Amino acid sequence: MSEAIDAATTRPLRPARNWVLIIGALGMVSLMTWWSARGIGFSIIELACNLPGGRRLLVESWPPDWSFFPRLLGPLLETLQIAVIGTVIGGILAIPIAVLAARNLTPGFLVWFVDRNFMNILRTLPDLFWAMLFAAAVGFGPVAGALALTVFTIAVISKLWSESLEAIDMAVPEAVRAAGGSWLAMLQFGAIPQALPHYVSYTLYAFELNVRASMILGLVGAGGIGMVLETQRSTFEYPRVTLIVLSVLVLVLIIEQISESIRRRLI
Amino acid sequence: MNDKAAIRFKGAGVVYPNGAVGLAGIDLEIKPGEFVVVVGSSGAGKSTLLRSVNGLTPLTDGTITVGGQPVPKKEGRELRRLRAGVGMIFQDFRITRRLTVMTNVLVGRVAHVPGWRAMFNLWPAADREIAFKALERVGIADKAWVRAGDLSGGQQQRVGIARALAQEPAIILADEPVASLDPVTTHQIMRDLVRINEELGITTVVNLHFLDLARRYGQRIIGLRGGELVYDGTANSVTQEDFKNIYGRDPDAGDVLDEREAS
Repeated sequence: MSEAIDAATTRPLRPARNWVLIIGALGMVSLMTWWSARGIGFSIIELACNLPGGRRLLVESWPPDWSFFPRLLGPLLETLQIAVIGTVIGGILAIPIAVLAARNLTPGFLVWFVDRNFMNILRTLPDLFWAMLFAAAVGFGPVAGALALTVFTIAVISKLWSESLEAIDMAVPEAVRAAGGSWLAMLQFGAIPQALPHYVSYTLYAFELNVRASMILGLVGAGGIGMVLETQRSTFEYPRVTLIVLSVLVLVLIIEQISESIRRRLI
Repeated sequence: MNDKAAIRFKGAGVVYPNGAVGLAGIDLEIKPGEFVVVVGSSGAGKSTLLRSVNGLTPLTDGTITVGGQPVPKKEGRELRRLRAGVGMIFQDFRITRRLTVMTNVLVGRVAHVPGWRAMFNLWPAADREIAFKALERVGIADKAWVRAGDLSGGQQQRVGIARALAQEPAIILADEPVASLDPVTTHQIMRDLVRINEELGITTVVNLHFLDLARRYGQRIIGLRGGELVYDGTANSVTQEDFKNIYGRDPDAGDVLDEREAS
């Protein structure tokens, strides 16, 4: 049929690749890497010469000191508890902060502007900074760690979830308003249900991050397994350090498995 | 019939921020208990007309009164009170698929119960009863505890209608309520709307695209073209010539639902 022939002749040609762009981008990345390596004195040759030192550290760290494990259980549990408190309190506080920062739901520009900047400040300052701040405020220990992780959780969830909220379909919220619903009713029945699976998913993700982070927080005296890690490292008990790292790894893997299975069921 | 159900447009006009004219100089009176069908091609201002009644689209010109009260131009308590008495049904249903049918219908009660009760799902028994009655009226009470998203298209639109009924409204606005449904379901939903209008005396304004549906179900037909009112008469007296004037062209097969009825 002539129709088929017509169709063949009008098939568009595959556009040519933009080699200039590809080579240019690769060149740019190479140049930046070279410039940065020079700047911090990063050299492959020097690294190779220093490898024996690293090898000695690895040899000294193996095998792990299994007999140390009973003394880890308490701090591991404390790490988990710090992460739970941080995730729950942070997760709840993140809800209003995320809603007010979503352009389509916020009640006014000023509220949005203030809230957005508040979120930016939370995110800009690292969790270690918050841990030190709270350690100074409430004393060294797990409470300072839990407070630091609360702030960290708010920062993570509010940023991610406010973006999910901005992507929802505003048709249903409008229907709630058409029925005479207030702003709160619009949120509760029209907006939030659409983004609820994302909220659960991000909260679980924040919990994983918190378990990891509570290891670092101990370095500045904010409780948990990190404090044990710091003591053992500073006394060169490398087999014990290995055991600590391994046990945190296992804990994180278990939590990841559980939250992944919850997430799968949700979506 | 109470006068709360009357709608009056006086020189009503809407110009959108991008300069598009939604409505221009509409003078119109809809009496309590009427079943009015609004026809016109897309962009003629049908949706704007409906949305201006409950203030979803504020007028830029003229006034609309609902039950003698002017429609407020700003969001707030007064507009919410007016909306509480005006149910709306949408082409895309606009129900929350993730929530149960019952919760979706109870949304029709949000303006009638204290905020904290809705917030914690502590709906008064009387309001739950109203919601159940609304579901019974559209014949899907058995689906009350099913997730709304699990229902068929026709059933989802019935949830939308039940939500409007739960408001115990004086007026129902239906914006192309059957445009996403198959022909069989379309007729069921249209019959539901007519029956509700007859049984409860609720003033009903329905936007429709299909001419045969307008003629079959409307008592009174209003024609819009370019935001202006170009036809207002009974469904029995509307002629092919009138439709031609409303659409600005001869109606064709795309303007009727059932092609056998095309003349």
